[in-house]
Amino acid sequence: MTITLVDVVNLLINGSIDGLLIALPTLALTLVMGIARFPNAATGDYMTVSAYAGIGVQALGGASILLAGLGAIAAGAAISVLFYLWVFRALRGRAPVASLVASIGVAFFARSMLTLFAGHDQHTFSIPLVRAWNFGGIRVLPTDLYVAGVALLVMLLLFALLHLTPIGRQMRAIADNPDLARACGIRSGRVLLTLWATVGALCALGGMMFGIKAVVSPELGWELLIPAFAAMIVGGIGSPIGAVAGAVLLGIASELSVPFVGPSYKIAVAFVLLLLVLLLRPRGLFGKAIAAR
Amino acid sequence: MSGAAKPQALVDHPAALLAATGVTKRFGGFDVLDDVSFEVGAGRLVGIVGTNGAGKSTLFAVVSGQLDADAGNVTFAGTDITRLAPQRRARLGLGRTFQVPREFGHLTVRDNFLVAARCEYGETLRSVFGGWPRVRREQKALRERASEWIEFLGLTRVAGELAGSLSGGQKKLLELGRMLMTEPQCILLDEPFAGVNPVLVDEISQRIRDLNATRGIAFVVIEHHLTALKALVQHLYVMDRGRVIADGDPMSVLAQPRVLEAYMGGVI
Amino acid sequence: MTAYLVAVGIVALIYMLLTIGLNLQYGYTGLINFGVVAFFAIGAYTSALLTLHGWWLVPAFVVATILGALVAYPIGLLSLRLSDEYLAVVTLGFSEVVRIVIQQEEWLTKGVQGLPGIRRMFAFMGVGGYADVAILGVLVACNMAAIGLMLHLVRSPYGRLIQAIRDDEIAVEAMGKDPRRLKVQVFMLGAGIAGLAGAFYAHFITYLSPDQFLPLVTFYVWIAMIIGGTGRTTGAVAGSLLLLVFLEGSRFARDFVPGVSEVQMASVRLALVGLALILFTLYRPQGMMGSRK
Repeated sequence: MTITLVDVVNLLINGSIDGLLIALPTLALTLVMGIARFPNAATGDYMTVSAYAGIGVQALGGASILLAGLGAIAAGAAISVLFYLWVFRALRGRAPVASLVASIGVAFFARSMLTLFAGHDQHTFSIPLVRAWNFGGIRVLPTDLYVAGVALLVMLLLFALLHLTPIGRQMRAIADNPDLARACGIRSGRVLLTLWATVGALCALGGMMFGIKAVVSPELGWELLIPAFAAMIVGGIGSPIGAVAGAVLLGIASELSVPFVGPSYKIAVAFVLLLLVLLLRPRGLFGKAIAAR
Repeated sequence: MSGAAKPQALVDHPAALLAATGVTKRFGGFDVLDDVSFEVGAGRLVGIVGTNGAGKSTLFAVVSGQLDADAGNVTFAGTDITRLAPQRRARLGLGRTFQVPREFGHLTVRDNFLVAARCEYGETLRSVFGGWPRVRREQKALRERASEWIEFLGLTRVAGELAGSLSGGQKKLLELGRMLMTEPQCILLDEPFAGVNPVLVDEISQRIRDLNATRGIAFVVIEHHLTALKALVQHLYVMDRGRVIADGDPMSVLAQPRVLEAYMGGVI
Repeated sequence: MTAYLVAVGIVALIYMLLTIGLNLQYGYTGLINFGVVAFFAIGAYTSALLTLHGWWLVPAFVVATILGALVAYPIGLLSLRLSDEYLAVVTLGFSEVVRIVIQQEEWLTKGVQGLPGIRRMFAFMGVGGYADVAILGVLVACNMAAIGLMLHLVRSPYGRLIQAIRDDEIAVEAMGKDPRRLKVQVFMLGAGIAGLAGAFYAHFITYLSPDQFLPLVTFYVWIAMIIGGTGRTTGAVAGSLLLLVFLEGSRFARDFVPGVSEVQMASVRLALVGLALILFTLYRPQGMMGSRK
């Protein structure tokens, strides 16, 4: 099988776009990891529920994608904050495993509520159908550019939040050194609410973008959990830049593997990369905390 | 003044059992330990004191292997143990207890003692499936030794209780007993008197003295309880902000102005 | 009616083996295994494929058990390098990768189409009736052997040491013992038991497909262990029986609640598992046991 330069460029483009989209749940994961210090297995299902909310809004309120997006963000932020208040806040002093197990429970619970009330069907967002652009074999879907652009915008907003606002500074302080932050009088209550609302919004936008790019199904989020976790580790835990870098790297690597192992093995590729990083460079690219002993 | 001058102990007993030389440990640009040296002769009782954050527990962690030093080395019984894993150091005869007791909470006191002893056959997977008489024989010998130590430490009454239900002082005795089951030559004691009622402090002190006198076990003790420590050890090191600022016999060291200054607020 | 109870009993005993294995890994030794279903699947497919190629049952069962243990070896090695929450996610990822491999390698496993016509145990006794009772008998014997092994192990010096490892690894090292060898051994032993359970499953259900091996199965086993009482073999027994009451009971509940489809019941089951995980983590942490960290 011959792979031409055009093929490679296409794979790079697809991989980068995938990577930018995965960066959203990866950011959600790394923020929780850095500040609340546990892997949130419910990240995927926050995405799924929000995406369905977006579908719902579009079905009810007419075809505005923007409105659907806002609906998704509202839903995502809401369930994220809700589960924080009910579950994760009470688990704060405990070992990270406890929160992890609880987050799996949250994931299952959220998904089950979704399928119970909204069924198992796949849905698509109604967006104007646009033909792919073709530059001598290099194919670019305008929709893909659109979602990638939205993802980039979201990331910029997040970086602005983290680095330009006082609450963002407080979040970074808590991530750096929780005891010192508390000693400085940073009240974690408000910061954590902001954190979880942000996480919910990130998941919502991630879910929406993936839903727009492909389809919305009950497994949408859960299937992205391992790649997002891998991206977080590759990029370095607790580092938002690392999350984006890791996600894009992983997206490209997964895509480049497709000619060799087929499209269904992308998760496996992500997993192998995860293992390699954990074994060889646990810090990842930009991380400070270490996952290994 | 740091480790530039040779510690007094080296002058008195050139062949030290345990020696740390020039140990440095950095945490994120901050020197927790700065060129620290100390010596423990065989069968000696040595103390280490210092204010909070002076680096005492970090020093223990480096010596016992939980942390790697950035510079310097540690020798024990003639072997360079600087790069050795913690369990290897323990097998050479260097034991330690912890500031906050690390008892095996879900095992009984007796089981805590039994699990500490070297048990060649009984702790292989093979022994679960066969060779049971040999396991029984091994265990019988261990049980006898454990009972001796349990009695020595005054824990006979609670021997069948879960270790997690013991009082703080009892847990300290338990940790000491567990260490003794491994037949060490030197034990690092990290704040053995912390949070322990005064009667028990005397008891623990007495046990340490007994063990030192009858079995020649060397002890290195970190403590804040200066009164009890003064009476116990033969040689005292004082640390402040990662450095050794004084060492010598307890009475004279604790009278030094520099020590008093660093230790303002200490119970002398 | 008895035929039904026998069938339920068989499934309960298969889950009992899985729970006993997990209890050895987590309850006794503190190793977090979120990939139980992977070893279950490996055992099931191994035995099924071997017998489809003419092997006799008993040797196929033995190979299934051994293969389950062998695959656990690298995971066991990994567990030495990873702290709890990372091991959890890695084992979870591993089980998903295993499922993807089963799905994709159709030349071997027939993929999503499934593997039918697996030889039933005691097939010479005909279908149902006495054959099932015989299967039940073998499973009872197997479980009794496993339980006996566990009870003996707990009281042995080996068992004492693994429980000490669970309680405090650093203290174990301070005593001059190396926890690493035992952790890998325990991981492999528990995985081997899961593999054996898989073999029983394959030759009872006689049809295998990848969606029988979703992560949900892993968490069924976790719930069984937690509800029964983590760290006690009797707990594993009780928990697996309670689990089956729950699983089968939910099927009967449909008869009492009109208008609920099987698919919706599946969502309800998922919701209850999620809820159980959340509530147990929140309110009965001692049911989770856990080590000093």
